[in-house]
Amino acid sequence: MLQVGRQESSGYVLECEGLAKSFGDRRAVEGVGFRIAPGEIYGLLGPNGAGKTTTMKMICGLLRPDRGSITIAGRQAIGNIDVRGLVGYVPQDVALYPDLSARENLQFIGRLYRLDRRTLAERVAEALALTELTERAGDRLDAYSGGMRRRLNIAAGLLNHPRLLILDEPTVGVDPQSRHAILERVQAFGRDGLAVVYTTHYMEEAERVCDRVGIIDHGRLIAEGTRRELVAELGEHDSIELEASGNLDRLAEVCRSVPGVSTAAAADHSVQIVTEDGRSILPAVLEAADRSGCAVTSVDVTEPDLEAVFLHLTGTALRE
Amino acid sequence: MTPLLAIAAASLRRVLRDRTALFFILVLPVVLMVIVGAVASGGQDFRIGVVERDTSAAAGALVKELADTPGLDVSRYRDAASLEISVARSDLDAGVVIPAGFGSAIRTGKPVVLQLMAEQANSTQQAAALRVRSVVASEGARVQAALFASRYGGSYAENEARARSLQIRTAAVGVVPETVKTTAATLPAGYEYSAPTELVLFVFLTAVASGATIVETRRLGMFERMSSAPVAPGTIILGSALTYVSIALVQSIILVAVGSLVFGVSWGDPLGAGALLLLWSLVGGSAGMVAGTLFRTPEQASAIGPVVGIALAMLGGCMWPLSIVSPTMREIGHVTPQAWAVDAWTALLARHATLTGIGGELGVLALFATLFFALSTIRLRASVSGSPFRRHASTRAVRP
Repeated sequence: MLQVGRQESSGYVLECEGLAKSFGDRRAVEGVGFRIAPGEIYGLLGPNGAGKTTTMKMICGLLRPDRGSITIAGRQAIGNIDVRGLVGYVPQDVALYPDLSARENLQFIGRLYRLDRRTLAERVAEALALTELTERAGDRLDAYSGGMRRRLNIAAGLLNHPRLLILDEPTVGVDPQSRHAILERVQAFGRDGLAVVYTTHYMEEAERVCDRVGIIDHGRLIAEGTRRELVAELGEHDSIELEASGNLDRLAEVCRSVPGVSTAAAADHSVQIVTEDGRSILPAVLEAADRSGCAVTSVDVTEPDLEAVFLHLTGTALRE
Repeated sequence: MTPLLAIAAASLRRVLRDRTALFFILVLPVVLMVIVGAVASGGQDFRIGVVERDTSAAAGALVKELADTPGLDVSRYRDAASLEISVARSDLDAGVVIPAGFGSAIRTGKPVVLQLMAEQANSTQQAAALRVRSVVASEGARVQAALFASRYGGSYAENEARARSLQIRTAAVGVVPETVKTTAATLPAGYEYSAPTELVLFVFLTAVASGATIVETRRLGMFERMSSAPVAPGTIILGSALTYVSIALVQSIILVAVGSLVFGVSWGDPLGAGALLLLWSLVGGSAGMVAGTLFRTPEQASAIGPVVGIALAMLGGCMWPLSIVSPTMREIGHVTPQAWAVDAWTALLARHATLTGIGGELGVLALFATLFFALSTIRLRASVSGSPFRRHASTRAVRP
């Protein structure tokens, strides 16, 4: 297993170690372990059936692991009902009553956390405002769009002001606008200091919102780290293609002098550059192109992504 | 509000918002109670067929006396053969044939024989025949009085009219029916039959059908949502059960109130009736919980639940008394909780038993409730403690 980006154990919100769970003869999860710090968004990536949801449910206390340990905010979580008060769980499917209003649903869930009347009213108002559903708070859920229900589903997971938020594929079946809103909200959770576990099989979502990613396949965590760390372990590089007019050989030569560029070669109407980090050296490359006297007409930066990492590690495409 | 009450309140709110559910819980049972009660009490009048082979005034007077007697519904037949067929088919409760020469015979004091048709083994027909006999006896007493008076003066017709007028003016002996201790195996007729049996039928039926709500809650992932909060599985199960037991209890109380206030049903010993209502609500509520864990979809629960409920009600004596079925069917019927509940109501209403008198039936119902709760708890615990009980997305992965 790739193991990168290790941190000290002190101060972690979530520490899982050696988690294992079987259903009959089928091993759903085997030896999964990771840690999440406050404000960190940890992506758990894997195809359907890889063991993501089982891992999440074990962390939430919905499933009891066969082996392993879970510590949440320094407290042993397995079999400890009180620890669940520190966790906000947003299940994969919208788990709310369709024949109750948004406010009634949130009030019901808040009462499960034993919030007193005043706190409950404050938290419900806060959650509705956060999800921009205040004006529709009295409407029954069956009158809501799919995106609005998803947003409320997330809001319900925040009522108890958790230390750890678990989001299980929160954008499945959501329109692009709502997806964008949800992802922005998740990023804001991280900035607010909330530790977030985020499962998805949308690679671009993981790349956008997650600080670190764990790749799970066949119940095992097979790699972990930041996107860049995982890509670096893969040994692949970024490439920059500059389409330009003028002396392209001269342009390639100038680009080779830019620190961080491994190679640069002229082709028919473009120059191909290979580098460790395409985004960071792009301004220097464009400056060099300007000095060479060539007119750059288009730029295309290609980075090896998590999809490539996942494919490399598992031999399986992430998305069906 | 505690999580237990929050769970119960949320479920209750959902049920109260469901107009279809409210119709089945409140309206339909009362409507059926009225219909079945009316049908069961509509057969109080004995249907009497009469063949008049004599056209005398005396024969006419007897027929009029029969027709005027409360509780007798008289119709005329042309011949004795068709009258006998109708009695045999139970289209009539009794048949009377007035022979030719009836009028002249009684005027001359000669014996006359009326033919009275009724089946020996049919208790209703025997009761109808008894009623006819009492009318004939009354008429005979008047004839005898007129004949006796005629010996000392006046015509028979004058003396018969005088005897009739005296008979009317004589104060009738008042009879107040009073129920005595009986060993009746069936509920009394009328609303006292329909009200308790409808209660037993509908409380159970509604509870089983409400299993659909539990299935939906399960499928919505709400049990998972509740379990992810700091709430023990037992609290979730109790909260859910509290809803359905409360609904069953409220429905029972409404049916009892409507039965008492509108239809004048006496529900027997208050303590016994109260204990029976409570236990039956527990049986119904727990059966609903079982239905909620057994069925996979709300549609299954809504479609199959009522069928099962009605079948059990038939077996258990809610549709007809178990005393009229074979001993084998009676024993099979007592596999259902309905039979024990109807037995308890029969003891309370027909035999005026008290709480201790229905202790056996209450004990069996308590066992049923315990069994149902245990079964639903095992099934629901599996659901709320997170076994893969819910439907999940496909787990198929694609290899390039």
